[in-house]
Amino acid sequence: MKIFRYGAAVIAVVIALAPVYWLVTISLKREVDQFAYPPQWIGFTTTLAHYREAFAGGSFAAYFENSVFLAAISTVAALLAGVPAAYGLARFEWPRKWDERIGDWILSTRMLPPIVTIVPLFLMLREARLLNSLSGLAIVYTGFNLPFVVWMMRGFFEEVPREIEEAAMLDGESRMGALLRIVLPLVKPGLAATAVFCLVVAWNEFLFALILTETDAAMTLPVGIASHVTQYEIQWGVMSAAGVVAMIPVLIFAAAAQKYLVRGLSLGAVKG
Amino acid sequence: MLELSGVTKKFGSRAAVSGVSLAIGDGEFVVLLGPSGCGKTTLMRMIAGLESPDEGSIRLGGEEITGRDPRDRDIAMVFQSYALYPHMTIAQNIGYPLRVRKRAQREIEAEVKHVAARLGLTPLLGNFPRQLSGGERQRVALARAIIRRPKAFLMDEPLSNLDARLRVEMRAELKHLQHELRIVTIYVTHDQAEAMTLAHRIAVMREGKIQQYDTPANVYHKPVNTFVAQFVGSPSMNLIAKGGETLGVRPEDVELSPAARPDFSPARVYVSEEMGNETIVVISDGATQITARAPAGIRLDFDAEVWYRFRTGKIHRFDASGKRLDD
Repeated sequence: MKIFRYGAAVIAVVIALAPVYWLVTISLKREVDQFAYPPQWIGFTTTLAHYREAFAGGSFAAYFENSVFLAAISTVAALLAGVPAAYGLARFEWPRKWDERIGDWILSTRMLPPIVTIVPLFLMLREARLLNSLSGLAIVYTGFNLPFVVWMMRGFFEEVPREIEEAAMLDGESRMGALLRIVLPLVKPGLAATAVFCLVVAWNEFLFALILTETDAAMTLPVGIASHVTQYEIQWGVMSAAGVVAMIPVLIFAAAAQKYLVRGLSLGAVKG
Repeated sequence: MLELSGVTKKFGSRAAVSGVSLAIGDGEFVVLLGPSGCGKTTLMRMIAGLESPDEGSIRLGGEEITGRDPRDRDIAMVFQSYALYPHMTIAQNIGYPLRVRKRAQREIEAEVKHVAARLGLTPLLGNFPRQLSGGERQRVALARAIIRRPKAFLMDEPLSNLDARLRVEMRAELKHLQHELRIVTIYVTHDQAEAMTLAHRIAVMREGKIQQYDTPANVYHKPVNTFVAQFVGSPSMNLIAKGGETLGVRPEDVELSPAARPDFSPARVYVSEEMGNETIVVISDGATQITARAPAGIRLDFDAEVWYRFRTGKIHRFDASGKRLDD
């Protein structure tokens, strides 16, 4: 029984990691070896040429910077706006159930396929002269992550017993003080999980970046990598090298936040 | 001195508390007693500033506090769930009210030590709330409330999450603590035994209104209506319809006899419950059931014949609407 379970786990891990491994090998292979038949899983001649080509003076360094900036700024902005909104929806009863309605409306913005917003967004950004700019994309990503932050954080705030906050207010805190010093520390795992989610979404986003950017000034890694599929050739080596580097920040962040992630995602499942 | 006058709170169209006026003297221990949903917790939350009344005013120590934030009222509260801060140690929890008030670190430490010693919490100061038992958490909540010597204490069913033995122990300790501190205390409960033992005065509430506000002895011996009569005392007072009136007799005022005696009426034993120190006997005379308190060791079988009478001078009379008729 145990063997069966471990066997299944091994198979799942192999299936999940095989493409990643293949990506890494291609980024290290000479071009002649990339599509050799039979495929060379191990023992091929390694080269760092693709990495050099991608990042030394190449556009990928700029894409990387853009992606880091966008992911960071849109996550911070979405949290700054979304956390207070989530707290308000979780804690205050509005007349005529408006808290519920606003909550549902915020969620509904996630229900429509993102592509339907592309044309209006394109036109609005053009009018605002924000096409092909980092600020324009940052605004779009913030808006994209905001409903998600509100919904997730609202759930986490609702997990914190009201009485703890009321106790703090009787102990001498204002509502804001109780929020900052008592409630926020208690929802830290939830905050971390939400932040990781926002970062990953912004980091991986392809569609908006593709339509709303066109030069190195604002192009992000996913779009930049895809742009190396050209009419004349597909630069597998360079694209793979960039892909490998693109994974690293997210891996590091997820590893750092892992402790919180598990607790954040399972918060409320078990009463503390 | 805490004064409520005409305090009313509506949720939608339903009045949770309606027109409550109470005056609580310095150092007095008042219990708000009533069944769940009677408005006692809402009333307490208005005193705390966690709810705002729709009408009426609340004055504490001569100052109007009706519209003030909770933190500007100088009132401490102990919650049913204790509401300790899970991410702080016991010492930090107890010292929190002083830390918010920006008192000097050394002073806070000294106060925390003093209060912890007073409540037997010294060995636990470095622990976190989750490592403590229910009784210990209860003490921490108390310590956090008394450390800043507020003008008033509010306690919302503070003992209801404890097991029966601990509850009686804490009840005694609470009473003694309040006696020492002499701070106005308002205590919410649905447990009449807690109300009787703790209070200087009990305010019995029902459907948002105060039914009776008096000493435990008067609430017990002179209930103003049938609701109070039945809510206070265990087992409850017997109510017997007679003519247009209702007669009320406490179980201890029902005398039983195994043999026929003058003035006694016949009945049969419905059930007999041996409690160790006494026996609760429910008898039936066909039309009504009557509960009586009998000495321990009395042996009464199901359906055995017994004779009973009500002790003279111990019969309460209520009119058709349930109001007490004066003797």
